[in-house]
Amino acid sequence: MQYNHKLTFKSYLDLAQLLKQYQGSHEENRHFALSHKIQGIPLVLLWKDKNLYRVVDELDSSRYLHYLKLFSSLFGFILLLLGFFTGFALLSYSGAEPVNVIYLLLVMVGLPLLSMFLSLLSLFTGNMGARIFKHFSLLYYLEKAINFFPFAKKIDFSALPFSATLSKWIFLQRLQLFSFLFALGLFLALILTVVSKDIAFAWSSTLAIDPLAFQNVLSLLATPWQSFFPSAVPSLELIEISHYFRLGDKLDVNMVQNADKLGAWWKFLAMATLCYALLLRLVFWFIMKIGFKKQLKKELYTLPGVQKLLKEFSTAVVSTVSVKEEQHLEVKEEPTLLASEILSDDYAFLLAWNYAEKTLMLLQDQHKVTVTSTHVVGGRNSFAEDKVIIDTLKGKVLIYVKAWEPPTMDFMDFLADVLAKNEVDAVEVCPLGTVTEHYASKKVDMEIWLKKLEQITSEKLKVIDV
Amino acid sequence: MSSYPKFAVVGHPNKGKSSIVSSLSLDNSIQIGNTPGTTQVKRGFPLKVDGEIIYELFDTPGFQRARRVFAWLEEHGDVSADKRADVVREFVFKHKDSERFKDEVELLEPILNGAGIIYVVDASKPYGAEYEVEMEILRWCGQPSMAILNLIGNEDYREDWTRALGQYFRLVRTYNPMTARHNEHIELLESMAQLKEEWTKPIKQAISILDELYDKKVDESVEVVVDYMVEVLSFVHYQKIKEEEASGEEKEEAKLAYREKILKVEIKERQAIEKIWNHTDIEKNEASLELERVGLFSKESASIFGLTQKELIVTSAATGATAGAAIDLLAVGHTLLLGALVGGVVGGVGAMFGFDNLYEMKVLGQSIGKRELTIGPMQNLNFPYVLLGRSLYHASMIAKRSHAMRGDLDLENGSFTQELMEGESRKALEKLHLKLRKGEELKEETLEEYKELIKKRFLTLL
Ligand SMILES: Nc1nc2c(ncn2[C@@H]2O[C@H](COP(=O)(O)OP(=O)(O)O)[C@@H](O)[C@H]2O)c(=O)[nH]1
Ligand SMILES: [Mg+2]
Repeated sequence: MQYNHKLTFKSYLDLAQLLKQYQGSHEENRHFALSHKIQGIPLVLLWKDKNLYRVVDELDSSRYLHYLKLFSSLFGFILLLLGFFTGFALLSYSGAEPVNVIYLLLVMVGLPLLSMFLSLLSLFTGNMGARIFKHFSLLYYLEKAINFFPFAKKIDFSALPFSATLSKWIFLQRLQLFSFLFALGLFLALILTVVSKDIAFAWSSTLAIDPLAFQNVLSLLATPWQSFFPSAVPSLELIEISHYFRLGDKLDVNMVQNADKLGAWWKFLAMATLCYALLLRLVFWFIMKIGFKKQLKKELYTLPGVQKLLKEFSTAVVSTVSVKEEQHLEVKEEPTLLASEILSDDYAFLLAWNYAEKTLMLLQDQHKVTVTSTHVVGGRNSFAEDKVIIDTLKGKVLIYVKAWEPPTMDFMDFLADVLAKNEVDAVEVCPLGTVTEHYASKKVDMEIWLKKLEQITSEKLKVIDV
Repeated sequence: MSSYPKFAVVGHPNKGKSSIVSSLSLDNSIQIGNTPGTTQVKRGFPLKVDGEIIYELFDTPGFQRARRVFAWLEEHGDVSADKRADVVREFVFKHKDSERFKDEVELLEPILNGAGIIYVVDASKPYGAEYEVEMEILRWCGQPSMAILNLIGNEDYREDWTRALGQYFRLVRTYNPMTARHNEHIELLESMAQLKEEWTKPIKQAISILDELYDKKVDESVEVVVDYMVEVLSFVHYQKIKEEEASGEEKEEAKLAYREKILKVEIKERQAIEKIWNHTDIEKNEASLELERVGLFSKESASIFGLTQKELIVTSAATGATAGAAIDLLAVGHTLLLGALVGGVVGGVGAMFGFDNLYEMKVLGQSIGKRELTIGPMQNLNFPYVLLGRSLYHASMIAKRSHAMRGDLDLENGSFTQELMEGESRKALEKLHLKLRKGEELKEETLEEYKELIKKRFLTLL
């Protein structure tokens, strides 16, 4: 499937809506970035395309753009008609009175230039300009008016994810379009009238305008086409003969004599409209479009989630944790086996598990138990050595173990062997603490021993905690 | 076979193998128990960058029948030293399905597959000769190896241990998984890099990756704290009212909603921080609310700001804590302790400043037919510092917490013992606070400057 990663208003709105619902995990996003060659905003847009299916509600963009389009085309059409009829009205020539060129120029050139000037002003003065000048514009009130239409309620303008600045650009861009259409209406009216009627153009003003100065202004206006279309530049002669004063209650003789020449005005008017109201407007429209795009891109970076997305695209996913489910022993709470606190007075055997010979002597000294025979078991002993000791065991056996070392299976095997001997009457396991603890075992260590030893079910076994 | 370095953490049961692996892999999901044999099968913890493994750590069960294994090896291993690993291999092969040597097979397997050996002992307990047989077995494996001295208890027998271990291992290092922080983690990795020449490069790479990851986490934490500050300080609660004027009841309702929102945002912030540092399931403290402790905590925070309404704070903290408990029920998975603390402190702070004056309350006659009561943004000058102090303290405690730690996070002790922000930075911070108080739009630079300051402060807490 071919994806389009160009930034459009629609893709912007869609992205904003998608990011509100879904931003993906770092892993997913990084994986996505690694599997595509592009980066930056195009990648964000591609990501949006791939994930847009997650938005199950109606897209905000389709609703918003639908109404924007509807409103724009409706209003554009109205303005086209308005321009057309304005043109007709201005050019209505009763036959008694010529059409005033100055008047026409004001509407066809002056007005557009003024509106363009305002647009520029609004650009360079920030929102302030827009705030002041929008009140001069009919459009502003029309926009206000659409709030009363039922569909306006379907769009929550305050919730739309763009700033006042971007709205301004949207507004300005549309303003250019509407003005263009208005001027187009005017232009069409002019052409139609010229074709279908014979119009006498003249110029007249309350101010005393010198024909020469007037001609200078006009040829300045005509500069753009002067070189390739000289017949569309009013000559001084034309200006002089078409100067007309309202006070003479009938037409100037001069004018009547040169009636055919007066028609030449239309070329100038048509060129002026084409150049200033239409072409220049297109240029403005284009500027606004670029400005809009730039602003759109700027705001895209500040959309909540976009920075995070870009960061996740470009930073490697580092994982340190295990993917494997843990299998572990059920942690048992309390041991059920209880330790007795008293050592018997005498034992047949004393075994010291994992102790050194030297320590065994110290231990014996400490506890003062009478034993017939003592042995070190476990530790460095081989199994054969331990076996020999087990074989000699009988009667009551005391086993010292290091309390802090948890019971290993090696010990459990040994204990089982001892318990299995018929000659052995009783086995008492006594976990001891370290020397610095004065051989007293810690409660936690004791619990570990008890929990382990309770797995052995033998009447002969006892645990001692001294 | 894959070529990245592997390390098997092995040793006697209950010496902190799983704790060390938790701490090194920043993974708090590993079961750590004082019952020996908690870990039953080996588990790999790979450091992956975009799916590519840089190195892998293995947590293994402890030796259970080391003497028997060694007896078998000696019996079958009358071979020259270079062939001994094969004897171990043969042992593992022969006993793959044996219930008896399950633990040994599990722990030897990764070593025979090329893993370096990290032998863990508890050096707070006296050395015992019974360890030698384990070390012998490991020596037979012929893999690069080092020993870690863990100090679980309070005594220190490291000297004895080092003498003994030195005969079996090239490197002997102390590492405490409970207190180890990022730099200790890195130091240990540097030791591991020395074990084998081919491993030096990947481990060095791992070090720089982990350093970057750490920096990233710091940055993300700062973002979260700053976003939270902005959200709370600029928060405005709107509530529709029936009459021209808000009734007392409506005002109370609005106040409650405002307070709850702040609590909720704080809980959200705490969770975000915990997620960044992978401490999402800190054990819940199920004990009943300890209001005296909450009170103490508030007192401490109050003293920082030179405020002395102690009695007031303690009584109000109690009501605040109940609010915290209510929030707990809403935000599933949140610890009751934290909830109580949050509630206690916001409540306490409320009383401290007199909650009614904390925020602006006004009736706005908005568009026709719609009357609203608004509360916020918070007007109290010290409130931002209370929030910031608590949030930075929590974030630093989380960031410093080892992944080997199980049990509650202790947020009460030694929390605000020093002035959080000095005069100069306070002035700079105030710039943003002022804007938020006024409900003004923030400039990018102000926010950046604020972030810088918070980061600086956060780093000193780490
Ligand atoms: N205080 C303290 N306790 C530790 C330390 N290392 C391990 N422990 C505790 O020792 C017990 C056994 O730890 P564990 O990691 O499961 O050991 P393993 O059997 O070798 O995996 C647990 O209760 C740990 O909390 C340490 O450095 N300090
Ligand atoms: Mg373990």
